[in-house]
Amino acid sequence: MSKRKPYQREMKNDWWLKNIFYSRYMIREGSSILITLYSLILAWGVFRLSQGAEAFNAWLSALQHPVSIIFHLLVLLIALYHTLTWFSLAPKAVDLYIKGKPLDGRLIVAGHYITFVIATVFCLVIIML
Amino acid sequence: MTDKTIEIEILRYRPEQDEKPFPQQFEVPYHPDMSILEALQYIKDHLDSTVSFRWSCRMAICGSCGLMVNNIPKLGCKAFLRDYYPQKVKLEALANFPIERDLIVVMDDFIKKLEEIKPYIIPESDDKCLSEGTYKQTPEQMEKYAKFSMCINCGLCYSACPQYGLDKNFTGPAALALLARYNRDSRDAGSAERMKIVNQEQGVWSCTFVGYCSVVCPKGVDPAAAIQLLKVESSKDYLIGMFKPD
Amino acid sequence: MQIIKTDVAIIGAGGSGLRAAIEIAENYPQLDVALISKVYPMRSHTVAAEGGAAGVVQDSDSLDQHFDDTVSGGDWLCEQDVVQYFVENAAKQLTQLEHWGCPWSRKADGNINVRAFGGMKKERTWFAADKSGFHILHTLFQTSLKHPKITRFDEHFCLDLVVENNKIQGVVILDIAEGEAKLIQAKSVIMATGGAGRVYTYNTNGGIVTGDGMSLAYRHGVALRDMEFIQYHPTGLPGSGILMTEGCRGEGGVLINKNGYRYLQDYGLGPETPLGQPKNKHMELGPRDKISQCFWQEQQKGNVITGDRGDVVYLDLRHLGETKINERLPFIRELAKAYVGVDPVHEPIPVRPTVHYTMGGITTNAKTETSLTGLYAIGECASVGLHGANRLGSNSLSELAVFGQLAGQQAAEYAQQAEHHTIKPLQEKAQKIIARTEALLHSNGNEKMADIRQEMGDCMEEGVGIYRTQTSMQKTIDKLAELKARYKHININDKSSVFNTEFLYAIELGYLLDTAEAIAHSAIARQESRGSHQRIDEFNTRNDVHFLKHSLAYYQADKAPIIKYSDVTITKSQPAERVYGAASETKEK
Repeated sequence: MSKRKPYQREMKNDWWLKNIFYSRYMIREGSSILITLYSLILAWGVFRLSQGAEAFNAWLSALQHPVSIIFHLLVLLIALYHTLTWFSLAPKAVDLYIKGKPLDGRLIVAGHYITFVIATVFCLVIIML
Repeated sequence: MTDKTIEIEILRYRPEQDEKPFPQQFEVPYHPDMSILEALQYIKDHLDSTVSFRWSCRMAICGSCGLMVNNIPKLGCKAFLRDYYPQKVKLEALANFPIERDLIVVMDDFIKKLEEIKPYIIPESDDKCLSEGTYKQTPEQMEKYAKFSMCINCGLCYSACPQYGLDKNFTGPAALALLARYNRDSRDAGSAERMKIVNQEQGVWSCTFVGYCSVVCPKGVDPAAAIQLLKVESSKDYLIGMFKPD
Repeated sequence: MQIIKTDVAIIGAGGSGLRAAIEIAENYPQLDVALISKVYPMRSHTVAAEGGAAGVVQDSDSLDQHFDDTVSGGDWLCEQDVVQYFVENAAKQLTQLEHWGCPWSRKADGNINVRAFGGMKKERTWFAADKSGFHILHTLFQTSLKHPKITRFDEHFCLDLVVENNKIQGVVILDIAEGEAKLIQAKSVIMATGGAGRVYTYNTNGGIVTGDGMSLAYRHGVALRDMEFIQYHPTGLPGSGILMTEGCRGEGGVLINKNGYRYLQDYGLGPETPLGQPKNKHMELGPRDKISQCFWQEQQKGNVITGDRGDVVYLDLRHLGETKINERLPFIRELAKAYVGVDPVHEPIPVRPTVHYTMGGITTNAKTETSLTGLYAIGECASVGLHGANRLGSNSLSELAVFGQLAGQQAAEYAQQAEHHTIKPLQEKAQKIIARTEALLHSNGNEKMADIRQEMGDCMEEGVGIYRTQTSMQKTIDKLAELKARYKHININDKSSVFNTEFLYAIELGYLLDTAEAIAHSAIARQESRGSHQRIDEFNTRNDVHFLKHSLAYYQADKAPIIKYSDVTITKSQPAERVYGAASETKEK
C-alpha cells in the first residue's frame, strides 16, 4: 500500500496580504468597485437631468457635500493608480517588431502616457468651451 | 572559511510520520558565495540526512530545485545566502503544489499541463523530408518565439500564480507560454488545434493578469506576456467566429 | 511487485534516450517503449550542454575534414568506421532536430549558422546561442509527447538489470515517490544514463551524473572501455566547476595568465592569433586535453592567479563587446554574474579546468550493441568508439542524435524478432534484487556517506587528474579499495519509503565507486601518454607499439578489475603526430 500522503496547503483568505505584489494587484482589481460606484453616481445624474433642471441642480449640490468630495478624490486617486498599473503592464500585450527586434517596452508605456495627456487636455478644453 | 553562521528554517513534512508540516531550525556556516542549494547540501551531509530536496545542475538550467525562500519562489541554486545574511532564511516547498515530502512537491499536474498543450511542431502537411534540408527561419522570425522557448519547467510561475492556487484547472503560465512558443514558430501549422485549449475557460481566460509569474521567472520567459498575446488571439478567434457561422 | 511488459526499455531520458524512444515510436509503431528516468526528462544533464553540435554544412568543409579532426583529436584511439558513420550522419540528424523545432541560431538569410570550436579545422558547430543542450533536450522531450506508445517512468530509479539465459530480459526500477519496486520486462534494453563526472570533486556535471548505467552493465560482465580517458574542460568556474562553454573561445575569447599573457602560444598552439580573430586549431581553439594541460604547466610556473576559490587563469571576452556577448553568449554572462560576480562585458572571467566528460564507457560495437544480448548503450555512458582518447567539443551532442537514432532502430529490430521470456524466473531474480536493495536500506554501520563521497572525489583528482604518475595512481587505487570496504559499513539514517533521497545517494555512491575503480585501474595499466591520459613518469610519450589499443575493464566482485585490451579499427588514417597551431599547417603542406 502506498505510503504517500501529499499535503495540500490551503490558500487562506488573506493570501493577498502576505506579499506586497499581491496586495497591489488586489488594490488594482479592487479599484473597480469604487469606479463602479462612481459610474452609478454619474448615471444617477443623467437620470436626474431627465427629470428637469431642479432635480439636476439638487444632484449637483449633493455632489458638493464634503463626503461626496472626499469620495470623488478617493476615486480619482484609485483610478489614477489603476491607470498607471495598466500602463506599466501594457508592453506585455503588444506584439510589435521593428527591424526584427521587439518594440522597447518603455516606448509603449511612454506612448500611453502621451495619449493620456492629450486625451485629458482635449476633455478639459471641451469642458471649458 | 569564516566562523559566521546563518540560521535556516526548513518547513519539514515526512508523510510517514507527520500529520502536517512543521518548521525545523538549522545553523549553517555562512559564506557569501554559498547558494541556498549548497546550504541544503551542507544540512543533508552534516546535520540531518533525512532533509529531502530535488537538485541537479547547480547552474539554473535543469529546473529541479525550485522552492520558497522567505515566501518567494526561487531556484535554490540561484539564490544566495549573502542576500539574506544575517537574517534567518525560511525555506518551504513551492507554494500551490502538494508537498510530497519536505521541499519536494508533487509535479504531476504541472507535467500533465505541459503534455496537454501539444508542445511540438505540427507541420503544414506531410513531414518535410530530411534531404530537403532545414527550414528557413530568419533571426526576425526566431525572435517572435525565442523568449517563450527559454522555459526550464521549474514551476516557479505556478507557485507565484494565485489563480492557479485557487483553481487547479487553470492551464497556467509555463504551459501557456510553451503553447505560445509553438504557435508563434514559423515552422508550425498547429495553431488552430492549440487555440481550442487557449479559448477555454481554463485557458487564457482564467488569467487575471496578476503578472507575478513573469517577476519570479528565473529565465526571463515572461509567461504573463505570452498569455496576454494569446488573449488577443483568442479575442480575434471569437470575433471572426461571430461573423463566420459554420 | 508490479510487473510491466514492454518491448523496449530505455534507461535514461536525456538526449540520446529520448532520441532512441522517438525513433522507435515513429518507425516501429507496433512496439511499446518504456522510458525510465530517475529525474524528469528535462532535468537530464544534456540540458547543461552549451556550445553546440558538430555537423558538416559549409561548402568549404568536408566529411573527410570532420573525420580527420575527430580521429586526430582522439589521438588515433577512435574506431574509424564509427567516426565515418558519425560524420556522414551528423548533419542529417541535426536537421532532424531542426524539423522537430530546435531553435538553432540562424544567419540573416534564415539558414543555419555555425561557429568555430576547439580542434575543428572548419566552422561546423551548430548552436542555439549558448544553450544548445537545453534546446535539444526540450525539443526532444516535447517531440516525444507526440507519441502515445512511449510510456514514461519519470522519477524511477534503476536498481538492476534482469539477465536470464545470457540475455537481458528487463530491469528492476524503484518508483521514487512510492518507494516501491517494479519489474519492467523487456525484449531489449537501451542504456542511456550519461557519464560519471561526479566521481571527481570538481566537475561541470549535475548531481545526477553518477555512472549508474556504466556500473550496472559493468557488474553484469560487460566491459567498460577506455575509462582512463577523462576530459577536463579547460574553462570551468572555480569552486563550483560550472561550465563556461568552449563557444566563448569559438567566438573569440582568449585565455590569459596573471601577467595578461596568452600563454597557450608557449605550448605548441601558437603563434598568437590577433585579438578577435580566432583561427581554427590554433591557440584557444586547440583541443580540450591540451589546453587543460597548459593550465597545469602554468600553475607549476606560478603564472596563475590565486584567489579564494583556488588557482585560476582568466577567460577574457571583453573585446567581443556587449552586443555580441548578449547575442551569442547570454547564458555565460548570466552564469558569470551569478556565480563569480563578474560581468564578462567589463571583466575577465576566472576559470580553471574541471572534469567534464567520460570518453570511455560501456563497450559497444559500431551498431551500439553490447556483449550482453539485447542490451544497447548510447551517449556518454557508452563507448561506441567515437571519441578515442580525447573528445572534440560539440561531437557529443551530435553523437546523441546520430547514435540515439541508430540504437532505437537496432533495439527495435531486435525486439521485433525476440519473445518475452517466461516470467517466473525473472520474478525470482527481481525478488532477489529487491531483497538486496532492502538490505542496503537497513545499513546501520558507522561510516558517513558524505565522507566517502568527498574522499573518493579528492583521491580521483589527485591520482587520475590532468597529469598522472605510477605513484599517484597507485595511491588512488589503494584509497578506492579502502573506500569500497568502508562503503559496506555505511549508515543510512533515513529508513522511509517516500522519496528517500539519502537511500538513492547510497546506491549512487556504490555506482560511483565501481566506476572510479574502473577508471583508476585502466589508467595505471596504460603505460603511455595519449590524449587526456598524460603521465609525467617514464611513460610520458605515446606508445603505438603496445598501446594503440582500447582498454577493457572487467568487473570482479570484491577484487580489482581485470584489464584487457582490444584492437582499434583503423580504416584510412594511420597514426601520426598530433599537432596544432603552426605545426598543423606545416604538416598539411
